[in-house]
Amino acid sequence: MTTTAIPTGEKRATAPTTKRPSKRERQGAAWVFLSPWVLGATVLTLLPMAVSLYLSFTDYNLFDPPHWVGLRNYTQMFTEDPRYWRSVTTTLMYVVIAVPLQLALALVVALALKSMKRGKAFYRSAFYAPSLLGASMSIALVWRAVFNDGGTVDNLFGTGGWVNRPGWALLAVALLTVWQFGAPMVIFLAGLQQIPAELYEAAAVDGAGTWRQFLSVTVPMLSPVLFFNLVLQTIQAFQVFTPAFAVSAGKGGPADSTLVYTMYLYDRGFVASHMGYASAMAWVLLLVIGVVTAVLFRTSRSWVFYASEGDR
Amino acid sequence: MPGHRTKGFCASAVALALCALAAGCGGSGESVGGGKVVLRYTWWGNPDRAERTEQAVALFEKQHPNVQVQTSFSGYDAYKQKLAVQATGGDAPDVMQLDYRQIDQYASGGVLLDLAKQKAVLRTSEIDSGLLATGRVDGTQYAIPQGRGTETVVYDVKTWKTSGVPLPAQGWTWDDWARAVRALEKKTGEPGATDPGQSEDAFEVWLRGQGKALYTKEGGLGFTAADLTKWWTFTDRLRREGAVSPAGQTTQLDGSVENTPLGRGKAVSDTNWDAPSSGYLAIIPTGIALAPMPSGSDGTPGQYFKPSMFLGVSAHTGHAEAAAQLVDFLLNDEDAAKILGATRGIPVNETIRKETAPLLKDFDKTAADYQASLEGKLKDPPQAPPSGDNALQTTFQRDYDQVSYERMTPREAAENYVTEAKAELRS
Repeated sequence: MTTTAIPTGEKRATAPTTKRPSKRERQGAAWVFLSPWVLGATVLTLLPMAVSLYLSFTDYNLFDPPHWVGLRNYTQMFTEDPRYWRSVTTTLMYVVIAVPLQLALALVVALALKSMKRGKAFYRSAFYAPSLLGASMSIALVWRAVFNDGGTVDNLFGTGGWVNRPGWALLAVALLTVWQFGAPMVIFLAGLQQIPAELYEAAAVDGAGTWRQFLSVTVPMLSPVLFFNLVLQTIQAFQVFTPAFAVSAGKGGPADSTLVYTMYLYDRGFVASHMGYASAMAWVLLLVIGVVTAVLFRTSRSWVFYASEGDR
Repeated sequence: MPGHRTKGFCASAVALALCALAAGCGGSGESVGGGKVVLRYTWWGNPDRAERTEQAVALFEKQHPNVQVQTSFSGYDAYKQKLAVQATGGDAPDVMQLDYRQIDQYASGGVLLDLAKQKAVLRTSEIDSGLLATGRVDGTQYAIPQGRGTETVVYDVKTWKTSGVPLPAQGWTWDDWARAVRALEKKTGEPGATDPGQSEDAFEVWLRGQGKALYTKEGGLGFTAADLTKWWTFTDRLRREGAVSPAGQTTQLDGSVENTPLGRGKAVSDTNWDAPSSGYLAIIPTGIALAPMPSGSDGTPGQYFKPSMFLGVSAHTGHAEAAAQLVDFLLNDEDAAKILGATRGIPVNETIRKETAPLLKDFDKTAADYQASLEGKLKDPPQAPPSGDNALQTTFQRDYDQVSYERMTPREAAENYVTEAKAELRS
């Protein structure tokens, strides 16, 4: 055994530089450089996800060791918990209000910015700023103050405040999201600048007005970007938490009108200490977002136009 | 042997990464600032309590130069949620203020330290043994009561007096109270009180006034849907008449006096605990007064003396002795008592209570006099609420929202609540 070991060592010592690194060696280097990410993804994402999946089948209450309860959390959620269904409808309403409003506003502002001659950089930053600020708790609290009774909106329009009226509170929450239209706006702007000017010239020659140009040139050419924004914002909207939490002071009120899905999840997990139930809710949310995204992709075939397709 | 070198390199890289990770995670219990022991101390309360607590803590730091205390506070609702998250993450502050409702859950969850083991630095001999026992779970002293509190009808004296409505008197009943809030609304144009329908505490007083209780001895629900329907029908009728605060005001209650209708200048009175009511002085400069809670129709009192709040030490603290010293200081030090006054209720240390009683002034004196007026007239407190109660307090408020916004009848909401409560207490 020892006799075979010596030549191997000699071989390594004498001819290390002439040989090209083998495939395995190159892969090894890749793994070394990937290791921080792999470590992070495993420890901070995959492992917690696996644990949460396990917990969703238990009655874990944060303090005592979990007991296996099978599908009980899931059946309870779907059949015995009216507040769960209220949180589902609230979230759907929120998505339906916030996403189209936000995208429409982002597109309108992007169009305005595109045709602007001067001060473009300033306005672009100004409209993007809320996207950076808006996610913070402090802005959400300002929002609450603005829409509270005795707040700015109340003083201007005499509405009596929005955050304490069940029919209006969700709109106040949605407006906070809509206001952060900066990210989709920047993406729209980039998309708009990609549309070749010849198309507009050709359309103008054919006698198309501004509106016709918008419908026949801008919309189809922009549809991949529109689709991208739609998917992204929908996924985000399903997970809305901070604005609803801050605007309702952590209660989802008034009368559960801002109790969005993640708020109820938080309530079950951290207020009522039903971590198993909260985990089950999280997994259902993941599945629903997956299904909704798949449906969006499916419908996209009929309305998203890729320039390369035109060549075929 | 190709790849041999890379493998070794790989292993050491992973080891390095793990070391960095371990270094980042380690030392959480060993927080040391400039060679000092650092303690985290958190509580809920109003700015008045915060100012006095800061002063007392500064004095403690002066006496213990090797200890540095980091303090933080917030309103009750926010505090409750934040502490729950910290406690479950094993990151509870070294010294924390606790409510009666949290003790059972946190003690059985292993969050709290056994304080009897810190006898050497933490003296409990001068605390009434019955009161001290309220901080015990299964025979272990997990928390020490800080003060004694009781509920009260706190009101804007000037407005109530000028309205001409007779002032609340000892032994008044819920019917008397309802008459008073109706009359106040007629005379002043503002609701007479905060709608008490949202408050589990007020409901408990009403319930006890009829000889019933929130929870049975076994930790089950002590009342029926019919009882709750009756209470919510009573408060809902007053709300419809405008005699108590409207839904839009009631829903904004979050445990801070600033967000109560009385604090916002939109009602004449409020039902609250006596200690936090000191916060009203800053908002209502013309003065406030404390009246007893209404009693049952046959005069049975529903309110009781409750350990107002507790101090507990985290089971994961790296400095158990220093933490116990801070608890001892806050409870038993005379100079600390002079600074703190009655911000957390009347002191529990009997010597200190006697010594500081004549020194109390302003609201502290009002609260002490109020408690003295009830001495011997109230029934025994109920035992500590079961774990599930922590979440039920929020559920109670939410379900009443459905009533006050007229989305459910009192009966529907009450049945809802009872179903949820039973499920919560079972699990």
